[in-house]
Amino acid sequence: MESRVDRETLSALVEAILLTASGPVKAAAIAEALADSDVEEAEVSQVLEAMCEAWDRPDRGLRLEHVAGGWRCVTPPALDPYLRAFHGIAARQRLSQAALEVLAIVAHRQPVTLPEINFLRGTNSAGVVHTLLDRKLLRMAGRKKVVGKPFLYRTSQEFLLHFGLERAEDLPDPEELVQDESGMTVDGDPEPGARDDLENL
Amino acid sequence: MRLVEEEPQGPPVELSVFSGPLDLLLHLIRKHEVSIYEIPIVDVCDQYHAHLQEMRELDLDVAGEYLWMASWLLHLKSKMLLPQVAEGEEDPREELVERLLAYRRVKELASILYDTDVVRRCLWNPVIPGTTRQTDTVLEWEDVDLRLLAHTYLEVMQRFEAFHPPALKVLPLRFTVEEKMSEIYRRVISDGLVPLLRDLHSRTDPEEVVVVMVGVLELVRLRGVFAEQRLPFAEIYLRPGDRTLSEKELLHSGEQGG
Repeated sequence: MESRVDRETLSALVEAILLTASGPVKAAAIAEALADSDVEEAEVSQVLEAMCEAWDRPDRGLRLEHVAGGWRCVTPPALDPYLRAFHGIAARQRLSQAALEVLAIVAHRQPVTLPEINFLRGTNSAGVVHTLLDRKLLRMAGRKKVVGKPFLYRTSQEFLLHFGLERAEDLPDPEELVQDESGMTVDGDPEPGARDDLENL
Repeated sequence: MRLVEEEPQGPPVELSVFSGPLDLLLHLIRKHEVSIYEIPIVDVCDQYHAHLQEMRELDLDVAGEYLWMASWLLHLKSKMLLPQVAEGEEDPREELVERLLAYRRVKELASILYDTDVVRRCLWNPVIPGTTRQTDTVLEWEDVDLRLLAHTYLEVMQRFEAFHPPALKVLPLRFTVEEKMSEIYRRVISDGLVPLLRDLHSRTDPEEVVVVMVGVLELVRLRGVFAEQRLPFAEIYLRPGDRTLSEKELLHSGEQGG
């Protein structure tokens, strides 16, 4: 570790670290671990970018993605049915319409309280919020200094990972999504299938 | 006589699929193909109520928020039916429109999240057991999850209590068998007949009841008192036995042994 590592070794090292890390890895963290070998963060970033490109091929089962401020390995979504067959997992639990709405509100307006979520949805969301906390997609972030001191909610790192975001602010602005306010051309329904598993949560 | 109940008219409306009253309202407005700013309140209000009626017929639990919205719509309907007093008066529907617009934005974003979820829930990431090192050890103060913190605190406290069970407290005796033996014995001698169960029921302290019971058994053993019960669970009567107990016997009963 005392001598300078060459590009090939660095590439192998980065790959090994990514495969053994339990979450997204920052380029800076890798550079720090290899500080004795005089490796710059920019160099690590270059290796990561090159690797990301090289792995993105139809004959590879692993991809590299930049998410939640770091890099991590994932499988391409197309392989999911085969992986589920191999691991004997029937189906994945989907997020219900109610859960998606709560996530949308928190992601867009965080930090936000339960009464604010309830008001925007026009319906009580306490159960949904609780389930999302259990699934670690939301987290509590203090209390609002108003009467009753309601808890404030924010989206979690798990939320960023699940939705492939760098930061929560990277979500599109809903104001831009609704271009036509006449309500005729914009279809508010997420997708026909989304309704089937309403209240799954 | 008809054996089979007639099928209800038409297919049941998918009512449970609405995620709230605003969702149902948006659906009705879309069905009307009108602008959200020009809601035909009278029609929409009637249809909304018809929907609620169907929900009740289907035995669905109509949540309070649906009823609240129903009353709001009725209120708006009554306002719309009244002739407008002044030109410059604001539209009574304004607040409803704003809430609908805000909710529609939420639904838009939710639909984006849905599309992302469809693809991304199919991702797997390699998990190597035993690698627990968190790559993100430096936690921002804001990132601390209060719920996790509370959970951790409770866990620590539970563990602490498991290793530090509360010390066993030995309290001084508040009643002695000897004292109770003397008390009961004197009452039996003076009254001739003492109903034991009634006496026990009159005492509220369980510890005292136990001590009295032990005292009575001791008195019976010493033949200073006889106990009689006619029927199972009936009253137990104490009467003088065939021996007269001395003060000494009463005070040192327990130590004599069998």
